[in-house]
Amino acid sequence: MKELSLLAVMLLLCTGTASAAAWTASVDDRADALQAQLKGNNSYQAHLAREFASVAVEEKAQHDVQVAQAFMNKAEAYAAQAGGSK
Amino acid sequence: MKRILLLAACASMTACAGHMASPQISELDEVRAMIQKAKDAGAEKCAPALQAKAVAGLYHAAHEITDEGSANPVDENNDLISTALSNAKKAHSKAVKGCGKPKPKPRPKPKPVAPEVISLEGVFFETNSADLTAASSERLDRAVATLQKRAGLHVQVAAYTDSRGKASYNLALSDRRAASTMNYLVEHGIAADRLTSKGYGESSPRADNATVEGRAKNRRVELHIK
Repeated sequence: MKELSLLAVMLLLCTGTASAAAWTASVDDRADALQAQLKGNNSYQAHLAREFASVAVEEKAQHDVQVAQAFMNKAEAYAAQAGGSK
Repeated sequence: MKRILLLAACASMTACAGHMASPQISELDEVRAMIQKAKDAGAEKCAPALQAKAVAGLYHAAHEITDEGSANPVDENNDLISTALSNAKKAHSKAVKGCGKPKPKPRPKPKPVAPEVISLEGVFFETNSADLTAASSERLDRAVATLQKRAGLHVQVAAYTDSRGKASYNLALSDRRAASTMNYLVEHGIAADRLTSKGYGESSPRADNATVEGRAKNRRVELHIK
């Protein structure tokens, strides 16, 4: 029972991270959403988010999905810092 | 069985976090150093797009270099490195030019200084004439004394009329009155090269031309100190 609880917590942790979206949306969709979110924002964080999203899409095209998701997570983290569109 | 499930969960969590290669590898030393140099010079603020390209390129290159399963040939990895380095250098260069030194603030344009004006109140002319009235000499003599004391002054003798009559006539009349006043000053010892004269006609009224008092104020002679 104890171990099952731990399992449940770990799964919750996993789905609770920023990458939770990765389970529900494709890297391409997330990249599109990010581009829309950052429209007109020219801060360093916004540029970095776009660049990481671009790398993610490139990696996805090479079928390296895990790496693509990792780059997308990073992109979304910077997008959050950038604060959306300006 | 539960333990196996637990292990599987841990493994899936690692997978959901994804894999991001560390850029702390020797192949990327130069790029990292240049990115840091650019950052120190203010590139994140002054050249955000270039700096972002450099940083993302650094991580991308790190992934391709360290990923054993990567199909990227060495040449392509080198391209990634050189592109990241090039972007970092550009970011640094732009930051040094644009942000390293504060841009000099444009000097505010000096406000046009209104010329010092000595109003020659009490100087009058005969009606429709440039002939000075006898009573004007007292005021003009004081002007002569002032100009003699302040020998460095160069002045323009400016004459104005009220608005009665044609503007062109008033302009010509004021021109003659200004010249007449200037002649008086020259005849009383003021060097001609310190003086000029100009008529302004009915422009720049001081008061309302609709009243007698206003028109009297508008008919005037002034010394504009240059």
